Amino acid sequence: MRLVPDHSGRIRRSALVEFTFDDAPVKGHAGESLAVALIRAGHLHLRDAPEDGAPRGAFCCMGLCQECVIGIDGLAVESCREIVAPGLVVTSFRGRA
Amino acid sequence: MMLQTDIAVIGAGPAGANAALAAARQGFSVMLLDEQPLPGGQVWRAKSTAILDAPATPEGDAGDRLRQSVKRSSVTYAGDARVWQIEPVEGAWQLHMLKGGRTAPLRARALVIATGAREFVQPVPGWTTPGVLGLAGATALFKQELALPGKRIIVSGTGPLVFYVAAEIRRLGGEVAAVVTPNSQGDWLRVLPAMLPRPDLLMRGARWIADLMASGVPIHWRHAVTRVEGGSRVRGVGFRKLAPDWSPIGTSQGLEGDSLCLGNGLIPAVEAAQLAGVALAYHPELGGWVPRHDEDGATDVPGVFICGDSAGIRGAAAAEIHGRLAGLCAAQHLGADTRKERKQLRPIHARAARFGTTMTALSIPRAGLAQLTTEETVICRCESLTRSAIAAEIAGGARSSNAVKSGLRAGMGACGGKFCQTTVARMIAAADGRAEADVPPPTPRPPLRPVPVSVLAGDFEYSDLPIPKPAPL
Amino acid sequence: MTRIYDIAVIGGGIMGCACALRVAEGGMLPIVLDQGDLGQGASGVNAGTLSLQIKRVRLMPYALKGHHEWARMGNAVGFHKTGGYTLAFTEHEAELLYERQRLKAEAGAPISFVSAQTLRKAEPGLTQKVVAASYCPEDGYANSSLTGQYYRRRLQDQSISYHERCPVTAVDHDSNGFTLATPIGPVRARRLLLAAGAWLRPVAALLGVDLPVRARVNTVSVTGRMPPLVSTVIGHATGLLTMKQKANGTVLVGGGWQGRGTPQAGRGQVTAETVVPNLALAQYALPGLGNARVLRSWTGFEANVPDFYPLAGALPGVENAFVLGCVRGGYTIGPYIGRLMGDFILSREPELPLFDPARNFDEEAT
Repeated sequence: MRLVPDHSGRIRRSALVEFTFDDAPVKGHAGESLAVALIRAGHLHLRDAPEDGAPRGAFCCMGLCQECVIGIDGLAVESCREIVAPGLVVTSFRGRA
Repeated sequence: MMLQTDIAVIGAGPAGANAALAAARQGFSVMLLDEQPLPGGQVWRAKSTAILDAPATPEGDAGDRLRQSVKRSSVTYAGDARVWQIEPVEGAWQLHMLKGGRTAPLRARALVIATGAREFVQPVPGWTTPGVLGLAGATALFKQELALPGKRIIVSGTGPLVFYVAAEIRRLGGEVAAVVTPNSQGDWLRVLPAMLPRPDLLMRGARWIADLMASGVPIHWRHAVTRVEGGSRVRGVGFRKLAPDWSPIGTSQGLEGDSLCLGNGLIPAVEAAQLAGVALAYHPELGGWVPRHDEDGATDVPGVFICGDSAGIRGAAAAEIHGRLAGLCAAQHLGADTRKERKQLRPIHARAARFGTTMTALSIPRAGLAQLTTEETVICRCESLTRSAIAAEIAGGARSSNAVKSGLRAGMGACGGKFCQTTVARMIAAADGRAEADVPPPTPRPPLRPVPVSVLAGDFEYSDLPIPKPAPL
Repeated sequence: MTRIYDIAVIGGGIMGCACALRVAEGGMLPIVLDQGDLGQGASGVNAGTLSLQIKRVRLMPYALKGHHEWARMGNAVGFHKTGGYTLAFTEHEAELLYERQRLKAEAGAPISFVSAQTLRKAEPGLTQKVVAASYCPEDGYANSSLTGQYYRRRLQDQSISYHERCPVTAVDHDSNGFTLATPIGPVRARRLLLAAGAWLRPVAALLGVDLPVRARVNTVSVTGRMPPLVSTVIGHATGLLTMKQKANGTVLVGGGWQGRGTPQAGRGQVTAETVVPNLALAQYALPGLGNARVLRSWTGFEANVPDFYPLAGALPGVENAFVLGCVRGGYTIGPYIGRLMGDFILSREPELPLFDPARNFDEEAT
């Protein structure tokens, strides 16, 4: 028995579009946050911590912690604040300082 | 061209948006700024454009009402605007904001700061593993994207937020592996009388808990997650029973899950107020360091007002009223007479704040929770600094937040110390036998958010640079 | 019975600490008092540049000695000798560069002029728009953030008493010496050294002495970690840019652009009006910096007197009181001049002359 209804079947989302993450194709809904699209696609590990190289991913989800930073057009940006768009080329900060 | 306004409001949550509306009703030009595309703040965060249709929620409805009010008002809303600098210029306040890949100045005669809160997370081994999200962070995913951080999610932390997060996971079709909370059922029973003035919230909370119980989701009262297993992604957690002071006791049990939502209450986001020169005071019952302000939100700095959770964690209901008070206060500062209206609002705010601070009290970690952070646990995520490294620096004589920051870089990383400074300050206080109130956070530094050099520089010719005369030979 | 120190040092920056260490070596019992933390004033918030190319000609012998001191401190202060280039982007700046660097070379700094080709080979990340450049192999940097940690350890190693968050609020003096009012109670000492940096004026006023000390409000910024962009310390012909990339990848940008505020008001403030052109100039010199994110900008108070030469010697009119500060290039020169000051207090002949605080300051520097 559940007292909190399952709404997942009643949510309508925008069309799926494709972008790339470290050259791998990823599908996300146009307009949703990049962090969410990456999480859904199983890409949790977005960067390595600079000092110990430990894996890191989205944490605060409100643009503060800088853990979900990825590269777009050479700039480091927070994936929780970037929007999925078709053809976006996203690079991780894995494996480099 | 320089943007000008009578009143600038930083933050468009329930506090900031209501401050803007109240001030605008007094006839002033108001500019309302927020990092998010639309008003709502964290609590009433708007859905992204990727959501075409979805069932209504109380948070969504409250946010929609607020967004409608702002839209219908004379308030000018600037979304996706990140304020990175605040400075006094010629008797006014000059803000610099990042918007649309450029930086633009805005001059205001008065400033309302409504920057809300951020989360405190007591570091535990493995809390840096991808798949560990803040509790409040998870709610941002729910509200904005109606998305989940995983499929089988462990929810752990203090206060009412764990139950909201668990309920939302279930509403959005996810599985809650378990709820692990340091609070006991007794803690909740004790606050019931204080919750009676808000039967709506009481009923909602009761339904969340009943739903978990009816569905067989374990609720581990008076327990905490003590370690995260995984490596490059969460595979499970270890959790332990807590003593009344929340220090871990008993043997470790295990839970499997692919993500963890973890949080231990909120901390006022005070950096903007600090940059504006507002002094802080320590109020543990309000979440820690709070900009000094009177009951209407006036600070010691003329023309600067503060409201909502950034003035102390009192919750959304109180923030709405506090916002109106601060907006009216700013209007008063610019010549309107708002004394009567403010007098009427104060008791309403006090009532809402009593409820909010009761919830805050449930969320504030007790002293023993600090023991979850082991010697090898990373405390400063940006610089990967462990508890033992920080303890050694303190033992070496660094006895202030600034000294630990300088010597070790704890707080010099990309987040600016937002997720380590509370833990570091508590360690200094404990090591030095001082009160937490004697260990203030590090000196605030702009920019409030990272800003690309190219954006700051903009387009310029070399000859445009106002290079001063050379230093003496 | 209260302990009577041989000397109380007000101000735990580089100069105060270096002097305390020297007099302790000479057998005196010092105590160091700081209103905040050790090394958190100008000593700890400057850009850490160790460049002979931006030192004043007359201070060059002190700067050369200073470089040796930093090299000796080494890793503990994040010292790196990288060499450094100073750039000119216009003909006018090139003239300025030739004129100034020649004088500095004559004063003993191993500065040479380099061709565009040499520069490009050494620092391919720099802009092609360089009109002239000079080079000094002695240049480098240290990490000023480590100043407090370093001197705290040194004082502890030498068992020298120090007290942080310990402002001196009053000074009494009689024939036996000085009594300082502090939060830890009265501190008694036979001698007194004022080494309070930008706060020298109010501290000297406690003794009824008016020192014409003013403060510049220098701005420094740091970026997040970047891939390698530049390997040497970069300056500008006017002295209004210093830039270096640390081993961790962060880039530190300074150059003395002015923020706001006064030491009396307690803190300086960064202002967009100057930090923006400072960073624009840095990006002009090093285009790859455009992609870096600025994480922090801050200010530090750099004290000076009207002739921009140091105060280093006896405090005028007060027996057994001394003053040390206002050294342009104080980070570089601080450890050395602190030692000279220690020798002076120990009644030894300093290796290089000090700068009499009783001199006439009327002549403004040009």
